[in-house]
Amino acid sequence: MPTEHAAAERVFHSNKPRENHGEHNTMAYDGEDKILEEVTGKAYEFGFTTDIDSDKAPAGLNEDIIRLISAKKNEPEWLLEWRLKAFETWQAMVEPEWPHLQYTKPDFQAISYYAAPKQKKELASLDEVDPELRKTMAKLGISLEEQKRLSGVAVDFVMDSVSVATSFKDKLAELGIIFCSMSEAVKEHPELVKKYLGSVVPVRDNFYAALNSAVFTDGSFCYIPKGVKCPMELSTYFRINESGTGQFERTLVIADESSYVSYLEGCTAPQRDENQLHAAVVELIALDDAEIKYSTVQNWYPGDEEGKGGVFNFVTKRGMCHTRAKISWTQVETGSAVTWKYPSCVLKGDDSVGEFYSVAVTNNHQQADTGTKMIHLGKRTRSTIISKGISAGKSQNSYRGLVQIMPNADHARNFSQCDSLLMTDRCGAHTFPYIETKNPTAQVEHEATTSKIGEDQIFYCLQRGIDEEQAISLIVNGYAKEVLNKLPMEFAVEAQKLLAISLEGSVG
Amino acid sequence: MAATNDIATRQAQNFVAGLAGATPLGLSSLSDEGRAALAELPVPTRRSERWKYSPVTAMLASPVSSAPAPKSWPESVPANPVPGLDAYRVVLVNGHVVPEACDLPVADGVMCMPLSQAVKEGRIAPGDEDWTGYHKREWVGAVNAAHAQDGLFLSLESGTSLDRPVLVHHHVTGADVASCPRHRVCLGDNARAEVVLWSSASNQASGMVNAVLEARVGAGARLGLDKVQHEHGSIFHLAHEHVTQGKASTFRIHTLTVQGHWVRNELSVLQHGSGAHTVMHGAYLPKGSEHVDNHTTMDHTVPYCTSSELYKGILYDRSTGVFNGKVFVRQDAQQTNAYQQNANIVADAGASINAKPELEIYADDVKCSHGCTVGQFDDEALFYLKSRGIGDRAARALMVQAFIGDVLEGMGSSEVADEVASLLAERHGWM
Repeated sequence: MPTEHAAAERVFHSNKPRENHGEHNTMAYDGEDKILEEVTGKAYEFGFTTDIDSDKAPAGLNEDIIRLISAKKNEPEWLLEWRLKAFETWQAMVEPEWPHLQYTKPDFQAISYYAAPKQKKELASLDEVDPELRKTMAKLGISLEEQKRLSGVAVDFVMDSVSVATSFKDKLAELGIIFCSMSEAVKEHPELVKKYLGSVVPVRDNFYAALNSAVFTDGSFCYIPKGVKCPMELSTYFRINESGTGQFERTLVIADESSYVSYLEGCTAPQRDENQLHAAVVELIALDDAEIKYSTVQNWYPGDEEGKGGVFNFVTKRGMCHTRAKISWTQVETGSAVTWKYPSCVLKGDDSVGEFYSVAVTNNHQQADTGTKMIHLGKRTRSTIISKGISAGKSQNSYRGLVQIMPNADHARNFSQCDSLLMTDRCGAHTFPYIETKNPTAQVEHEATTSKIGEDQIFYCLQRGIDEEQAISLIVNGYAKEVLNKLPMEFAVEAQKLLAISLEGSVG
Repeated sequence: MAATNDIATRQAQNFVAGLAGATPLGLSSLSDEGRAALAELPVPTRRSERWKYSPVTAMLASPVSSAPAPKSWPESVPANPVPGLDAYRVVLVNGHVVPEACDLPVADGVMCMPLSQAVKEGRIAPGDEDWTGYHKREWVGAVNAAHAQDGLFLSLESGTSLDRPVLVHHHVTGADVASCPRHRVCLGDNARAEVVLWSSASNQASGMVNAVLEARVGAGARLGLDKVQHEHGSIFHLAHEHVTQGKASTFRIHTLTVQGHWVRNELSVLQHGSGAHTVMHGAYLPKGSEHVDNHTTMDHTVPYCTSSELYKGILYDRSTGVFNGKVFVRQDAQQTNAYQQNANIVADAGASINAKPELEIYADDVKCSHGCTVGQFDDEALFYLKSRGIGDRAARALMVQAFIGDVLEGMGSSEVADEVASLLAERHGWM
């Protein structure tokens, strides 16, 4: 494991120039990169638990727990009231059954809703961070000093629910960019939080959004002021750490007029036997002429080969685009036992643009019901959806997407493409696109194909001395290239490795 | 929310009570099951995924009742609505077969009669009254099962084929009338038949038509259905066709909605034997505030089968359209080749389309694709026609005809296709 990790870290931090972008898929069979050697380790690579003393609430959910969370975090009264109202809303809601998923519903009273690594004092430097935590970071390949020196990526590292360290803050502060934990933002910038929290994903939006609104513990907050192009890619690592703790992240990204930000989110989680619930909410606001690029590499623990354990990932992600604004979602989904996730764009302003690029891989007994919603309200709004599903083992992989053109969205345009690749005869690939058009000038196109991984292509590779695993990695990376190309450099490399690891021994 | 459902349930109970006076078809266990299911099944509302775009709430708001059997076929309506079509005939008014106006084939190996007669003659074995269990799944199916009136009974022995198509003409006349026709078609191995399902209604007609057709297509057999809906008045039309196909059989259906106040067509095809082939075509051109919903299910359960589906629609004025096409490829259905295409044109502001082409695939060695588009007419093509001296109206008409034209291809009888084309031309002023 340690040697593998060193390699992972090296690849992750390698600051290769952008021109190399097109060569990504060649890396999969480049002997020097040793990516394939790493791939051969079958067990879940990041499955380890860090032993840190943790401040944990008793299991169960009621008003007192919400008051406790709020008190622990020294929150203002308005936020507590907001939470309590959300809790009331949630109690009246029922868990949705329409997704194409089969799982045992989580027992919401058996979950502990608050766990924070013990942190007594404010940290002035990295040396003050708990050594155990530092080790975890090193294992994940995101040691902060390395980040600072090498990669130029500012990392807001979330260990369970409380942010423990934030880097590059000073540099960002010079530009007026606010990048901090949600709890800090509530204290330091209440006016922004109050204005935008719940404005894109209202409390009663869905069951899990309501739950998150009631019990969210922390997350990231980002504000880019008018006209500022954020000089680095902002990045957050989430990690479920405390046994039996649900993770309820709340992320809010606000790009003020004519600003630009690229935001990265990636996750790995330790190995567990019981299901862990993850119900995050991400809200993006792109004001006039702003652009937000939001990239995710998701690698929660998918459960063992029998489908035991594994994370339940029920996420609500949505962006609001004002006039001429653009929001682009890119995601590589390889983990989780159950995924329920639809990053969406509300194209409210005229000429706004929404994009969704996704690769979803399911193996063994994984289930994914994922896609997007593009809601066209403004005139001449445009959206693009590219979804690539890969099913292996006995998994079920569904694309579910909505394209809605409202009566005022004159000359709106959408293009959707959903391709599915099947690796075995025991997996499933499904497509559920909803197209609702109420405008005579709109143009909407949807196409979907489903096919088997090409035996001819594999044979061709075998003939040339490329073994089957490598051949599959090569074909899959080529298939997903359209999406991988949209990822920032570091993520693209990591994503390629994840694809390879996820599909190990999957050909039937 | 619960309160809304209670209102819907109460309305539904009142609505169903109005149907109680119908002459029973005589399939007692089916109607008993239907009645039991009516008490259990939820009434379709916007909250149900399958009915979210077509809730029956508006229909339930005005009560209906079954009409008594008519003395004769109405004089003003031609029993054969298709000029020049040489066909056998089973005609119904408000759900009742009118025997004088029927023209039934008499040939060896062919049994063609009103369903009520087949029941009387004991041609439907107990336990074989229903082939789909639709009434156990859907409230509207239960309505038909509980109150089915009459319809076509067609059974062909192995190797026989009909020399002419069978025209089933259902006509509605009168206000607030409920009609529940039920048809049953069974083709033995290598048998062949063509059926034309035509529904019409008078200008003053209103109420509900709840029609069910069940068909079994034997090995190597071939069944073709031309289904035309041309109803004046304001009818809520709920149709359900369920077809089961045997080995190397072919089933074809053209569902053409020329006119209809509120239409919901449910078509499901189940392939049981390998090598089966299915063709499903459909067109809808609603005007005014009409509503047309097409729900199709193509279920591939065995290897080496193919299906091809093409639905096209043009939505005018404030009309609404729904297309929901589902393709299943089950785990054993390797080597399936399934294709589905849905194209829509929203012609006017106020019109809308809700399309949902779905694939559910559990086998890997298959070729499945679907495409769905919503758009407008190509301005350049329009310009091309105009630049050659064709007026705007005529050019648009030409383009609409071209758009719809490929759906009409491959119909069982050219007379029906021609009649549909001329009815559409008359209705939309393409002449």
